[in-house]
Amino acid sequence: MRANNDKPRIAEELRKMHAEPLLPIEKKLIAWSLIVGIVLLAVLILTGNASIPLGKS
Amino acid sequence: MTQQASIGDTSVSAPPRRDWSEDWLAVVAGAAVFVLALGLLFGGNLLGWVTAPRTWLEIGKAVGPVSPTYAHVDALLLLLATYAFVLALMTAAAALLGTSIPKFIAAFTVLFWLSYLSWVLGNYANIAVTAPGEMQRLGLSWSLRLTGEFGYVLALLVGLAIANLMPVAARWLAEAARAELFIKTAIVILGGTVGVKAAEQFGLASSIMWRGLAAIIEAYLIYWAVVYFIARQWFGFSREWAAPLASGIAICGVSAAIATAGAIRARPMVAVMVSSLVVVFAVVELLILPFLARSFLSEEPLVAAAWMGLAVKTDGAAVASGAITEALLYGDAAARGLKYSAGWLVGTTATIKIFIDIFIGVWAFILAYIWTRHIEPRRPGDRLRIREIWERFPKFVLGFAATFLIVLAIGLGSSPDSLRTVNAAMDQANVFRQLFFVLTFFSIGLLADLRLLWQEGIAKLAAVYAVSLFGFVIWVGLLISWVFFSGIKPPLAG
Repeated sequence: MRANNDKPRIAEELRKMHAEPLLPIEKKLIAWSLIVGIVLLAVLILTGNASIPLGKS
Repeated sequence: MTQQASIGDTSVSAPPRRDWSEDWLAVVAGAAVFVLALGLLFGGNLLGWVTAPRTWLEIGKAVGPVSPTYAHVDALLLLLATYAFVLALMTAAAALLGTSIPKFIAAFTVLFWLSYLSWVLGNYANIAVTAPGEMQRLGLSWSLRLTGEFGYVLALLVGLAIANLMPVAARWLAEAARAELFIKTAIVILGGTVGVKAAEQFGLASSIMWRGLAAIIEAYLIYWAVVYFIARQWFGFSREWAAPLASGIAICGVSAAIATAGAIRARPMVAVMVSSLVVVFAVVELLILPFLARSFLSEEPLVAAAWMGLAVKTDGAAVASGAITEALLYGDAAARGLKYSAGWLVGTTATIKIFIDIFIGVWAFILAYIWTRHIEPRRPGDRLRIREIWERFPKFVLGFAATFLIVLAIGLGSSPDSLRTVNAAMDQANVFRQLFFVLTFFSIGLLADLRLLWQEGIAKLAAVYAVSLFGFVIWVGLLISWVFFSGIKPPLAG
């Protein structure tokens, strides 16, 4: 790791960081990711468990 | 993934352009071992000489060849041959990557022998033996029951000690500590092992693959969104920091952080810092999660394996965690008189991780689209290229798929006798897989500079990581693994 060479810069960079409120597009990205993710997981659970062999031993 | 990143690297905004990447070299190195192992199908025992540690009480009997055909040859000679073979393979790769050959050979030699020694020590009988019958046979009154894979943990600890106590030696050894090359080569070889398991139990293997889809959804759509929200809203990080951080924590560590930083045109320093943190936290996870799984998932080994793939970041640490988990859980099962077929847990962890890796390029493309269209519109002419999806695609996955499919095709069309030969061939290749695992463990330790955590300004970044990982990612990973894998058991051996 060569990150040690950059010590002062990182602290400074984080201090300099401006407040950036969430934009509507970011809110959409977060919300849609979660909604689509949860729906797809539900679909996988319902279809997968019904149609794919479990291979229990 | 355990890709290295450098502060001085200004090419983070675009995928690296070399004639040879570590991904392709891993495919070639893994394929070389795989093809030689397949020689067994045609009557040629080309890799039977490779040595691996055995459970031992006398150091003179600590290593031996994988094939009885070579049992009459001096084990020390075979060990030197094993070293020479791996050295030749990795030196060729290092040469193609433009590394200084003499430096690489010197550093790799030290790295190899320290790793191998750790592996041998981990197989000491009082550390490794798990089954009561085996204890009786060896006349042992006690054993730590940590299995031979404890050698991996020892290698990690030796690497960590060197990295944090002997920085000059660590810098010298870093020349050869190619964790990414080692683990990807191991994964290409692992494809053949998983293929032979799939041929034996096709229903179970296809079931695991199907469930791998859940991992993609979880990593990209759920983890990423939550971690990004936490970084932005709770910790006040800018978009430039929050997006690579979310990818590093949620998806696959270093590669995802670098790909995301490139996609949103973040400065190289951002990707480097996030990558450094990923490596440190991956080591922490690797040392904790398999033992946690042992304490409350011993009855659900495949849940534990999937959990490692979903929760542990970087390919190396994740697959390594799968190997440790398999060793611990199988060891405990053996103590209860249950002997599971080897390879299923590490295969499951690798499958989950590979499924997640495949979509890094696609995700980077989606983020680049959102950033260029809605957040920071680019200059005219600075266009998105769909080719970047392929450029960011982890090519070693193709090697894994090829070895998997070749062995599966051979195995499905084989008689039980032929399938046994395929199994023996993959056992030979598997010794190299284990050897590359040990090298990976050592390298991960060597690259994890824990002093990073004391660096000024890092606490806030580490806090996002810790809150997201230990407060959310690990537990949601466990829940999803439970939902998709509970009740499924690996087949019994024999």
